[in-house]
Amino acid sequence: MIKVQNLVKEFPKKDGSKFYAVNDASFIANDGEIVCLLGVNGAGKTTTMRVLSTVFQPSAGTAEIQGWDIRTHPDKVRENLGFLSGDTGLYNRLRVHEFIRYFGRLYSIGDAEINRRMDEMAELLDMKDFMDKKIEFLSTGMKQKVSIVRSIIHDPPVMIFDEPTSGLDILTARNIVSFIRSCKERGKCVLFSTHIMREAERLADRVVLIHKGKILAEGTLEALREATSQTDLDDIFIHYVNRSNLETEVQAHEF
Amino acid sequence: MNSKKVMIVYRKELMEVLRDKRTLFTTLLLPVILYPLLIVGFNAIMARQTGVLEKKSASVAVQDSVMNPVSMAIIEKLAEVENYTILPAAGNAQSLYENKDIQAIVSISDSLTASGLTTYQVYIQYDTANEQSMTVYSRLKDKLAESKNDLLHEQLELRGVHTDVMEILDVRPIDTASSQRKMGMILGMFLPYIMIIMLLTGASVVAADLVAGEKERKTLETLMVSGVGRLEIVIGKYLTIITLAMLNLVVNLFSISFSMRYMLSQAGMDMSGASLPLKSIFILLAAMLPLATLFSAILLSLSTFSRNMKEARTYEQPLMMVSMIMAMISFLPAIEMSNLMALIPVINIALLFKAVMIEEYQISHLLITIGSTLILDVFAIWATIKLFKTESILFRSDDDSGGVKAIKKNKASFFSPYNGIVYFSIALLLLYYLGSYWQTQDLWQGLLKTQIIIIALPVLLIIRMLKLKSRDVLRLKAPKLLPAALIPFIAIPGAILVAILAQIINAIYPFPEQYLENLTRLFNMDIPIWESFLIVAVAPGVCEELLFRGLFPRFFEKFGVKFSIIITALLFAAFHLDPFRFVPVFLLGLLLGYLTLRSGSIYLSMFSHALNNGLALFFTAFATQPWIKVLISDSDNLHYWVALPAAIVFGIAMYIFHKTTGEKPCVE
Repeated sequence: MIKVQNLVKEFPKKDGSKFYAVNDASFIANDGEIVCLLGVNGAGKTTTMRVLSTVFQPSAGTAEIQGWDIRTHPDKVRENLGFLSGDTGLYNRLRVHEFIRYFGRLYSIGDAEINRRMDEMAELLDMKDFMDKKIEFLSTGMKQKVSIVRSIIHDPPVMIFDEPTSGLDILTARNIVSFIRSCKERGKCVLFSTHIMREAERLADRVVLIHKGKILAEGTLEALREATSQTDLDDIFIHYVNRSNLETEVQAHEF
Repeated sequence: MNSKKVMIVYRKELMEVLRDKRTLFTTLLLPVILYPLLIVGFNAIMARQTGVLEKKSASVAVQDSVMNPVSMAIIEKLAEVENYTILPAAGNAQSLYENKDIQAIVSISDSLTASGLTTYQVYIQYDTANEQSMTVYSRLKDKLAESKNDLLHEQLELRGVHTDVMEILDVRPIDTASSQRKMGMILGMFLPYIMIIMLLTGASVVAADLVAGEKERKTLETLMVSGVGRLEIVIGKYLTIITLAMLNLVVNLFSISFSMRYMLSQAGMDMSGASLPLKSIFILLAAMLPLATLFSAILLSLSTFSRNMKEARTYEQPLMMVSMIMAMISFLPAIEMSNLMALIPVINIALLFKAVMIEEYQISHLLITIGSTLILDVFAIWATIKLFKTESILFRSDDDSGGVKAIKKNKASFFSPYNGIVYFSIALLLLYYLGSYWQTQDLWQGLLKTQIIIIALPVLLIIRMLKLKSRDVLRLKAPKLLPAALIPFIAIPGAILVAILAQIINAIYPFPEQYLENLTRLFNMDIPIWESFLIVAVAPGVCEELLFRGLFPRFFEKFGVKFSIIITALLFAAFHLDPFRFVPVFLLGLLLGYLTLRSGSIYLSMFSHALNNGLALFFTAFATQPWIKVLISDSDNLHYWVALPAAIVFGIAMYIFHKTTGEKPCVE
């Protein structure tokens, strides 16, 4: 389970002022649920996910992964978290099994257990032919499979996918989508981000709309449709963005 | 820190690095091939060259003004030299010699001694600046020695003396240098240089790959969300670089050692009993280990700072250049290891190396070298860990290269660390060439011109060109009354404390005499005191502050106030081009930087700087007065007890200063 509470992430700008990449964001993702963080490029999706995966420190507020606070227990957070993004790089000079074993060992999993899981995943994802190959000789699709295995080698209860299909061809993207579904079936808590409405519509149980670092709306698609009396997710999104822009203008007038 | 995870990272990085063909080539293959080729090849060319000279034909003009059987015999003897043509010297001999058509002119004359013996004088005219002429000379000399022997023999026999009298004094030199030391002499000259460069090259290829490379290939984020902490990642990578650097070193050392051995045996030097100087190699490895760790830490932090490998390789260049120049010290015959030298990184290793190779090193030098390098090492690795934990640096994406286009678009982008270093380098060059030229012309005018034209004027010009407000950029703001009133109580005791520190340093590592003489010259009055006060205290106070506390901190602000104070203080100390005063000037720089950035007014550091310099002038001016003897001992040093009241006043004044000024003004 992911619990985000009043999360703020600011970056210093050159002129000395602050840029709020994430501004007072709060939302929840439950076990066995797929939650989509939806927003345009630069909305703060990646920053949010980097904070959740302990790459960045939050400026204010906090979040919990499986009950572990990201501020106080980053080690525990990482142990309970699988992270995958669309443009993940791999160590080209390693062989596939070496690569997966490396990450398994970093999670302090025993070699026997790593081998067992690796065999299981290789069977499942049809990777047996290239487990001994060097990664530099793999195709994009093969590499993506290696990344998938890497992200779940420690069988984490929470999965975070940062724009998992960006830059992938249709077939590879489809593998990822079915992988995300299978995570849900196994009762994992899944948070994924995208700027593609269709992907969100197809996969998500709930949607969190993020724009300029702020959470505009959160809920099941039905709830959002009812609230905005729009049927299409595109229109729902635009509805909220317009409203938020309006609010900013009104605020500006008040001052 | 989880050492098990460090080892997992380390083993993986090592495996990956050793699979990289580029790394394998530079660290292992290159040294194995390079040295034998270099040394054997060089050797062969040398041998061939000398052989060619020996066999090369030469023409020698002989002027025989005796023309008797003895002189004829001498000339005949000379003609025995293979390929040499002996010509009777004609009137044009001198011009032939100058045109290098003949390589030597021999003239024979005779004289009569008091005992009635005819003696012969042979003059050989030759050119020591010409290798061929030198060879000709030595061959002629050998032949003449034979002639002399023949003549002596003849004379002794004539007088009925047994010829063994000629062996009455037989001088036989015995070379005590062991083959090891002979080898050490040769190795000690150029080995340190090559080794230090090799160490850097070996480490830099790996370092650039390990962090900047991971950023470029987008694997760093994956690693950081996995089950390993940042500290473990840094240490694991750090160990990898050290391992590769040391591996490179060992391979280099053995390769050089074997090649040199081969060369010496080829040159006919006695190699019996000369084993590889294994003991030396182990001592050197022990001494090189701290340097390897230092280089590795610096390279790792550069790699962490860089966005990609190309950038990392660019940042490595200055480190490479400085180390190369410092390592060249081993080529200088006059410089030897001392306690002071042992404190300076790179130079200490180069000199220690030289000493170890001829088996004349002192254990204290070895220990100081290792100790001082390790201290720097701790700093460097601390900085690397800190960098690795700084998000803005680890995920640097914005373009802040500070090119001309970027400056046109945004004037503030001129103030990048890169431009700061470029500005500093140009100013330093101007100071070194133009400033010292002016000062040799006329010391006082030169000093003043340096301050105004090299240091202050460009600052004002740049502010004008960028159309910035000098009042804001340079912090030309009136200070508050209380902090300003505190400055004398900070600057004067501060200067005294620094002076006493300099005395302590001087007591441990005495300054050279020549240096002290130059320094006194600066304060020796042949002009009115108000004028020297203007030149030594006021001008540097105003001009140097404009540059070092006005302009320079702006270049390094992005690192935070503390860092920008430290960096500008380092530049300030380096700018004085004086290794003996580096530490005192650095401390002064820290104080001045703090005063300006804390209060937001540069006038405070100007005032403080002028007071500091003025104090030195004051002590020199009144050194002969009896009342000053209370403070100063006979050897022109301050009494050590003065430090105590100075420290108390300094401490109290700084405390009040800190309390009454805010941090706000430094961020505008």
